[in-house]
Amino acid sequence: MSDSTQLNPTSDERIKEFSKLRKALIRPELGGIVGTVAVFTFFLIFAYDSGMFNSRGIMNWSIVSSQFVIIAVGACLLMIAGEFDLSVGSMIGFAGMMIAIFSVKLGWPVWLAILLTFVMCISVGALNGFIVIRTGLPSFIVTLAFLFILRGLTIFLPQVIVRKTIIGGVKDVAEGDWLAVLFDGKILTGLFSWLGEEGLIATFERGTRAGQPVVSGIPMLIVWAIVLMLLGHFLLTRTQFGNWIFASGGDAEAARNSGVPVNKVKILMFMFTAFCATVFATCQVMEFGSAGADRGLLKEFEAIIAVVIGGALLTGGYGSVIGAALGALIFGVVQQGLFFANVESSLFRVFLGVILLFAVILNTYIRRIITGER
Amino acid sequence: MKRVMKNLLGAIAITMGLTLAAGAVHAMGHEKYILVSHAPDSDSWWNTIKNGLALAGKQMGVEVEYRNPPTGDLADMARIIEQAAASGPSGIITTLADPNILAGPIRAAVDSGVDVIIMNSGTPDMARKVGALMYVGQPEYDAGHAAGLRAKSDGVGSFLCVNHYATQPSSTERCQGFADGLGIKLGNQMIDSGQDPGEIKNRVMAYLSANPKTDAVLTLGPTSADPTLLALEENGMAGDIYFGTFDLGGEIVKGIKAGVIKWGIDQQPFLQAYLPVVVMANYHRYGVLPGNNINSGPGFVTADGLGKIEKFAGEYR
Amino acid sequence: MNQDAKPIIQMNNIEKHFGSVIALSGVSIDVFSGECHCLLGDNGAGKSTFIKTMSGVYKPTHGDILFEGRPMHFANPRKAIEAGIATVHQHLAMIPLMSVSRNFFMGNEPVKKVGPLRLFDHDYANRVTMEEMNKMGIKLRSPDQAVGTLSGGERQTVAIARAVYFGAKLLILDEPTSALGVRQTANVLMTIDKVRKQGIAVVFITHNVRHAFPVGDQFTLLNRGHSMGTFRKSEIDRDSLQTMMAGGEEIRNLEATIQGGNNFKQE
Repeated sequence: MSDSTQLNPTSDERIKEFSKLRKALIRPELGGIVGTVAVFTFFLIFAYDSGMFNSRGIMNWSIVSSQFVIIAVGACLLMIAGEFDLSVGSMIGFAGMMIAIFSVKLGWPVWLAILLTFVMCISVGALNGFIVIRTGLPSFIVTLAFLFILRGLTIFLPQVIVRKTIIGGVKDVAEGDWLAVLFDGKILTGLFSWLGEEGLIATFERGTRAGQPVVSGIPMLIVWAIVLMLLGHFLLTRTQFGNWIFASGGDAEAARNSGVPVNKVKILMFMFTAFCATVFATCQVMEFGSAGADRGLLKEFEAIIAVVIGGALLTGGYGSVIGAALGALIFGVVQQGLFFANVESSLFRVFLGVILLFAVILNTYIRRIITGER
Repeated sequence: MKRVMKNLLGAIAITMGLTLAAGAVHAMGHEKYILVSHAPDSDSWWNTIKNGLALAGKQMGVEVEYRNPPTGDLADMARIIEQAAASGPSGIITTLADPNILAGPIRAAVDSGVDVIIMNSGTPDMARKVGALMYVGQPEYDAGHAAGLRAKSDGVGSFLCVNHYATQPSSTERCQGFADGLGIKLGNQMIDSGQDPGEIKNRVMAYLSANPKTDAVLTLGPTSADPTLLALEENGMAGDIYFGTFDLGGEIVKGIKAGVIKWGIDQQPFLQAYLPVVVMANYHRYGVLPGNNINSGPGFVTADGLGKIEKFAGEYR
Repeated sequence: MNQDAKPIIQMNNIEKHFGSVIALSGVSIDVFSGECHCLLGDNGAGKSTFIKTMSGVYKPTHGDILFEGRPMHFANPRKAIEAGIATVHQHLAMIPLMSVSRNFFMGNEPVKKVGPLRLFDHDYANRVTMEEMNKMGIKLRSPDQAVGTLSGGERQTVAIARAVYFGAKLLILDEPTSALGVRQTANVLMTIDKVRKQGIAVVFITHNVRHAFPVGDQFTLLNRGHSMGTFRKSEIDRDSLQTMMAGGEEIRNLEATIQGGNNFKQE
């Protein structure tokens, strides 16, 4: 039989050369990109002069978006690895409460309270993963159980200790703590002072901070969001471990047969999700100076929605961290933007549902093109 | 496909251009007041506030808006206050459900030139600390205390306090005040009933069957009162047990008439929304400001004073 | 084929019992490098069990294995893979959502170490993937193309190319053509031929004689755990194989019983 490989492989007329533009657009993040453009366009039209795009307005929705980005990155990597974590919201409440109890009630230094809480929560994450692996139960169920366990503890502990469901006073004990500043501080304050002086940003008119710019710096929350997003994207796309994440979610059996340590990957991703939740909680507790029993309610679903808008496949093996971050951005902009645009806040859920639907339809279409799925 | 791509690129270009061009445009116009509450969408008690706010806006000729965190999350409420301040209104009327969380954003709003009046949750002292013009409301602890004193003089020796919004510290103050008024130490007489009517009813029934000698039950609003009425119907204690409640509502009024509920504490939420608007509008127009805080309640409403209440229950009363 | 060449693997009198079930009762085969040895048999004949024994998934209850002349006891499948015995399962261990490049190097990712980080060397992986695919006659638009866009036959070829690239000396293919159409089957058979010519030993399991015959050098028939014989291509023809596989003897006896000895077909 004549050797067909003698043919020059690049001249096969059946292979269509895709235009560069098409190559650039057919990617998992497309739904997220289109959604972001659409949302900003909408608000630029309807809320142009509502204060949404002055320095305070931008800070307002940027902070809310950053919160979502932090937990969306964790949820995204875990979903690509093929699992869910429904206990994220409860862990946010739990972590915040533990920090407050350790530092305010037990009087331990704040840096110790924070580190201890990280250790505890990451351990719970590992436990989630371990139980899922060992029992073979869907992670949906296992983490649902922890959703209840952690939320119950978060309500029970403060009631037993201080007969209230909120523990305050964290700001006082965190004064001057070296680790707290990593979560509550602001960077680029010099830049913003200068901007205030130059009149490019509004300044306070009265009170103790008269003359200072209304936005004094970029909060560490936003820095964490950007760092985690870049880290997550890099890990997923550029490292060996990232290939293992895709493989574990795409087909765990096939991955195992090829020598990928699937169990280790999944447990590590559960731990990372817990880490992200704890970062969120620490920033929140440091900013508000208190921990409440209802913090983080339902945040896990919002994280999953952001991840899905961002192009990830619910069953795993496919997705994008940048997309998830865009999904989180959309979430924050819509949530706050509706207030700016003077739209009834109950319509937020309607908006979100519509965006989610369109994003998923677009993402599914794109994914079918990329992966040849029928 | 090419046309779609072109359109997409066009949209991206326009978006970027507009974003860059958007400067620090501050909306200046006639008076606009934003009322920010801590209540979740599900709490129907705040309808009266919404209505009072709207009426005041109409009568004073000012623009008013009502904002709240959909789930009652105070962290979200802090963001809403920040957002409200960023949108540049003439004034913000807000509750102070948790000073730890809200003091910062409120203070920042005041410092940026927005006047603030505290209503409903909080105390005159805290209101002054955050730089507000004044406080309009019913101090929680004091109202609870007054109710406790009243119950004590009616011979009550033990109680159950049904708390349906335990995550907010103001709720605990009501039960605490009641306990102190009665001269009893607050232990597990306060139950966290949650917001679901079915659960509230079950928890009340469970407590009362475990503690059948309970003299009195105190609920903190229609959300906890209505299911408690049903619970007392079912376990036959309606009319026997001393039942007092905070706030009024349709079912509560019926209960008072029927003799099941002794009294309702009317903090007169209408005034909590209406008065701040009037005060602020006059302040901004003519520079006049009352020298005092305004206590909108407590008014103890018994079977005798029900006429107007019945007429406007859930709407303005 | 040089008859004096040593077989790369010798399975002698392999027996495998599962509790009271005897899956294999004394099967022996020799596989030579550069040859394709077809393992034929109906469902339940013991083919799967046999190759699992060959690849270290099972340990034989009785019998021994000589790999490259030395007795081999594989503690686990990983050891067998390291020794050079690669199995391509029916379900391929290919993940459709991932690119060909990522699939090709799954578990064996080329790594660029930057400090403590193990970066996936995409340039190397992409280059090698395109080369190997060209060698096998698969034309890819780009190495980023997802495996899901390939046909079943192409996926089989990628799996085979992967095994060969990572140093398989003995390649076991478990029913590679059973789910494929005619044209794709032909492509896979061509690939097997290529691989064979590279000097790799191939064990080709199938229940379809028509697929096996073109590429096979030796044929072993299994029936209910027994070997019905090993034949070189020169020793047998396709129809005889087919008949033996289909239990030809038994059907003829059945026909004889039903029709009283008449209509006895001559081969």
